[in-house]
Amino acid sequence: MGHAAAGQYEGRWARSTAYRATLARSLASAHRWFHSFRARFAWLHLGKLHAIDVETGREKWNFAAPKQIYSTPSRFQEKVLFGCDDGKVYAVHQDSGTKLWEASTGGEVWASPVVRQGTAYFGSADGHLYAADARTGKLRWKQALGGRVYSTAYAAERSIYVGCGDGHAHSLNAATGKMQWSVLTGNGIDSSPALVGGTLLFGSEDFFVYALDANSGAVLWKYETGLGISSSPAVADDVAYIGSKDGFLYALAVKTGELKWKTRAGEVITAPPVFSEGVVYVQSWGTLALDAATGKLLWRAGPGGSVQGAPVIAEGVVYVAGNGGEVYALE
Amino acid sequence: MDRRTFVKRTCVGAALFLGGMDALAYDDEVKIPPPPPIDVREAPLAKRSPLGMPGLYPGRVVELSDHRSIAGNRVSQPIVRQMLERGMRELTGESSARAAWAKFVEPKDVVGIKINPSGAPACCSSPELVREIINAVQSAGVPARNIVVYDRFGYEMDMGGYQVLMPPGIRVLGVQDDRLDASGYDAEIYCQADFFGEWETRSYMASVVARQVDKIINVPTLKDHSASGVTGCLKNVGYGTFNNVARSHRAPFSFTNPLIGVMCSVEPLRSKTVLNIMDGTRMVWHGGPLTQNQSFIYQAGILLVSTDPVATDTIELDLIEKKRQTEGAPSVWERNPKSITSNNGEFYQDANKNLFYRQPGHIAVAGKLGLGESDLKKIDHRQLLMG
Repeated sequence: MGHAAAGQYEGRWARSTAYRATLARSLASAHRWFHSFRARFAWLHLGKLHAIDVETGREKWNFAAPKQIYSTPSRFQEKVLFGCDDGKVYAVHQDSGTKLWEASTGGEVWASPVVRQGTAYFGSADGHLYAADARTGKLRWKQALGGRVYSTAYAAERSIYVGCGDGHAHSLNAATGKMQWSVLTGNGIDSSPALVGGTLLFGSEDFFVYALDANSGAVLWKYETGLGISSSPAVADDVAYIGSKDGFLYALAVKTGELKWKTRAGEVITAPPVFSEGVVYVQSWGTLALDAATGKLLWRAGPGGSVQGAPVIAEGVVYVAGNGGEVYALE
Repeated sequence: MDRRTFVKRTCVGAALFLGGMDALAYDDEVKIPPPPPIDVREAPLAKRSPLGMPGLYPGRVVELSDHRSIAGNRVSQPIVRQMLERGMRELTGESSARAAWAKFVEPKDVVGIKINPSGAPACCSSPELVREIINAVQSAGVPARNIVVYDRFGYEMDMGGYQVLMPPGIRVLGVQDDRLDASGYDAEIYCQADFFGEWETRSYMASVVARQVDKIINVPTLKDHSASGVTGCLKNVGYGTFNNVARSHRAPFSFTNPLIGVMCSVEPLRSKTVLNIMDGTRMVWHGGPLTQNQSFIYQAGILLVSTDPVATDTIELDLIEKKRQTEGAPSVWERNPKSITSNNGEFYQDANKNLFYRQPGHIAVAGKLGLGESDLKKIDHRQLLMG
């Protein structure tokens, strides 16, 4: 199962979903709820959403959607939420995969639904951000933005932050959807923002990493990389880790934008990195583990060759998805 | 039940191939095997569209040059807009860009914009240019819902960010998501040939071309190609429309000549392709089509606008040959066995190495098939320096 070019890793199980490339993208930020809820299953997809037993790699159930699924699933209570290319967001039961509700938009939904205080927020290729009751799927509000919304929103207590394909980063009132501020970057935003203290971090296809004041939208600093950015930041200990299409993974000080280190991980990075216990993991035609303090490569694993998914890390196991439709669990 | 009838014809591969070798200076040690006959099954047309290849202005190519169109590897959409408008007016003789576009698309049309995302993110059809083409098509009255930005491979489009960067309402379509997915292709239209004893000898036309769009705006990049010599208008719209095309080249030999030209001649692809806008903001002069090595990517800052794909690719070939000469790299016509490597890493780092004996003769073959003008001396090449 692959190779270890530097350091080592050990294969635990591998499972083929017999599907194709979008699996990788869907896995992108599953770690958010995986860590939070200690879930027993990993939900994956492609035209189907798969629930896989993390101990054995066996499929528990699957849910067949009408079209492909690029959206990373999220969890709210007993529900698993995800978007689909048919323009809908689905909620299915975590134990059975039974559909509980669906909510319609006018375009593909690649972003992950984010739930905060009982409301699910998600963007659509139709150029709108939606807020729906996470229990029923009933629409609470929708707000027209200027471009396609593939960025997964960040839901804070009172504000929703999201990037847009027309280059704007937006802050909206979480209760009403009213626009609070907008900041224009030099190209579209695919990157999903992260909020640290009062600082909003994200990348843009204009090659820059941005840090904005979350209250006002004022640009605190921006850092130029060598090509566009569709990767999203992972933050730990006041350092933001983010990849660029120039192939480098960057570590930047959250407060100043100062470069701590950059390491060439491959020809292109589009996946978001993941931080866990002093190690940064990122996919770029394989999975790389780097020392978070120095950027030194600890190990590189070949399986899957995914370029878009983020590894999911839980209880000492790294789960990665491959472009061939496989899911791997690595020690 | 589909009541269409289909016609089948045979292109004599070897004859076409040899016809495209007029400019070659062969090394006697290299024996290039002749290509096999290619059977074509295509949709019949009552009358070939006058807008189809070579289009309304055969032999005319407008080259626009503006160094401000790309800076620090970023493409300037406002400058590209000016270049595109000027190019369309120059090509058609119309006084306004809107009137120029109206010669090619009508409000009732479903318009496909065929991009080239291979090589993304380092070199692909610039999203900035594609957005301007969308604006222009809409200015001619075509609604957003009738515009499709497409390519064969969805994952390459994702790498280029097209799904995110196109305006809402536009359809962004990857015909297939992996190399074995054939569900997006029309089983009734195909080219068939056995090149190397491969198990699947047919290449089928994408359904979006065969059945969905009325007009195609072709947006290739200005790029060399390890097998075909260059990848321009012809290869982008030919190999970007039919599946299972990688089988035409097996190192070190390539049958991209004559297959590229033959594919472009197949209806309805030929009649639907009405305009070519080559993105030359970046020029890949070695390592194409997939290189990410910036050492071989020159920020040329040009656009080529034409209805004639053969004439445009002839200009493209000339530009790449001159650049390679400037850089001290061998011609794409070279047939020296010492230049061939089976090491991809070496190919991507050394402009003196290649994976195949390249076949740029496919451009001349396409000319012989009536798709355009391949004689550089006969091309109405209009060069406009804008900045």
